[in-house]
Amino acid sequence: MNRRGLLRAAATVGLAFFGAPPARAEHECEVPPEMMQVAVKLPHLAARLRAHEPVNIVAIGGASTTGTAAGSPDLAYPHRLQLALAKLFPDAPITVVNKGVPRQSTRQMVGRFATDVTPEDPILVVWETGISDAVRGIEVDEFTSALQAGIDDIKNRSIDILLVDMQFSRSTATVIDFERYLTALHRVAEVNEVYAFPRYEMMRYWSEQNVFNFDEVAADERARLAARVYDCIGHQLAHAIGLAVQ
Amino acid sequence: MPEPSTPRDLRLDFFRGVALIFIFVDHIPENFLSYFTLEAFGFFDAAEVFIFISGFTAALVYGRRLVEKGAVYATAQVLRRAWQLYVAHVFLFVIFIAEVSYTVTTFKNPMYNEEMRVADFLGEPHVAVVQALLLQFQPTFLDILPLYILMLVIFPVVLLSMRRHPLLLLLPSAVLYVAVQLLGMAVPAYPEGHVWYFNPLAWQFLFISAALLGYAQTVGWRHIPLPRAIRRVLYPAAAVIFAAACLIKLSWTIHGVWEPFPGLFLKQLWPINKSNLSPLRLVPFYALVVLVATLLSREARFLRGATARPLVLCGQQSLEIFCLSIVLSLLAHFILTEYGASVPMQLAVNVAGIAIMCLTAWMIAWYKAVDRMPALHAAAAARQSSDGIAE
Repeated sequence: MNRRGLLRAAATVGLAFFGAPPARAEHECEVPPEMMQVAVKLPHLAARLRAHEPVNIVAIGGASTTGTAAGSPDLAYPHRLQLALAKLFPDAPITVVNKGVPRQSTRQMVGRFATDVTPEDPILVVWETGISDAVRGIEVDEFTSALQAGIDDIKNRSIDILLVDMQFSRSTATVIDFERYLTALHRVAEVNEVYAFPRYEMMRYWSEQNVFNFDEVAADERARLAARVYDCIGHQLAHAIGLAVQ
Repeated sequence: MPEPSTPRDLRLDFFRGVALIFIFVDHIPENFLSYFTLEAFGFFDAAEVFIFISGFTAALVYGRRLVEKGAVYATAQVLRRAWQLYVAHVFLFVIFIAEVSYTVTTFKNPMYNEEMRVADFLGEPHVAVVQALLLQFQPTFLDILPLYILMLVIFPVVLLSMRRHPLLLLLPSAVLYVAVQLLGMAVPAYPEGHVWYFNPLAWQFLFISAALLGYAQTVGWRHIPLPRAIRRVLYPAAAVIFAAACLIKLSWTIHGVWEPFPGLFLKQLWPINKSNLSPLRLVPFYALVVLVATLLSREARFLRGATARPLVLCGQQSLEIFCLSIVLSLLAHFILTEYGASVPMQLAVNVAGIAIMCLTAWMIAWYKAVDRMPALHAAAAARQSSDGIAE
């Protein structure tokens, strides 16, 4: 257990004390406010938004960025993020480009920055990573140094960056030790003053609150479940970005 | 490592036992008990303890063989031990395959379908199994035994050069270690892109320097030749280094749980590389070795007491208990993810695991003692008393 574990415990206690969160018709996937604390700012993006200038965002990541599980790129989280951001910031045209490629390690993604990220001229990079590293058992030291290299690369170009950590799944967690990778990712984020979106903790919360059951899904329900989860991720991520540009 | 002729240094067994318990606890993800292991307050963890003691005892045992029975016999005995470790490694690998194939074939999560490729190697067993047999395929948890095996395979050469002159061994070993720190060489592993998690080019230095200390004791070099001035500052310096490292690491651990608490020098010092055995791990570790060697006498009564007994037994049956701890931590991880990881549940799983380890160690010790009974009787008759189970 660590900070994320405590956070989860706090969220559960909070729920028990105050009862279930008020049902909002708007979204099925609310999370406790402790999970949505954003201490870091995104200055370049904030300046763009204040000036009402067009905003380009690149979402680079793995299979859960591509979103194949939901059946269409429009259902993947980057597109859902674009829609949610458009609602939050109606005055600036916002585009989120999806640069997901399945099964790449963090180091391989860094290798892709030059061709997939920079040419898009983004003001914010959303970097979803860590799953392949944990699944393939890449050394945590190597994972850490690849993350550092990627963050340095983006920051040196005066582009804002935020990280999205891994997906939660009970059956996956049984064979894979995500914790060391999660801890490393969040610590790299902290040392570099970069925001890390706690997707793992969120999905675990939804799973424990029975909002979603990721592990026992009928075959014909799977794509729809994936789409709902990606929509929630996009929605919460937009919310976090909103907090970071205030 | 049978060694009935001289009283055994129980400190080695005790701390190896402690390291094995820590390895079990630390290998269970999100385990709150891991806040009470070395990892929480030391820059190093149980791996250093394990490798250090293994190097030290190897030199004690096989160094004496070398003196008593010659190089050929000592070599044969080292290789026999390496073979035992190898068999244990292959056994653990089979358990790993069983676990992964089971999970993967029963897997239904849509969002992980594409990325759940732990079992990719099952698609090419002709390569994967051969790579595992060559120690080149090292899934999580199966990475420390290959290092130990490799160290034993080169150990006959280590022994012979030690006998010539300690520096003949220590110098090249240190140069290689420093070279890894500066140049970052690594040993490639399977699948492509992987490296040995415990980089043998770096970790050899810990094993070999420990072996040198063990050999010094075997051949009765009273003191390691250090100028008196260094000798005088050695203990205070070790105390300061160790205390400072503890303070810093403890602040990181607390910071990890409760953010407002500051992580001292976090931005300057983190991350500390484990694969290459960063000097930030090695130096505080040796500081601890100096402190323990000074403060805890090998005659300390507590080592023979009932409290230390289970840990000493675990340390004495280290190979069996190590393998068991790996299997038990996999099992504990499975139980906690499947049936909930509440604090009482975590506590129960940890306590059960540690109890199983201690009981097994006790059973093995008992069995070996019975097995050796006639010899023991003869020895007892000749020497009148014998002390504990000498294994």
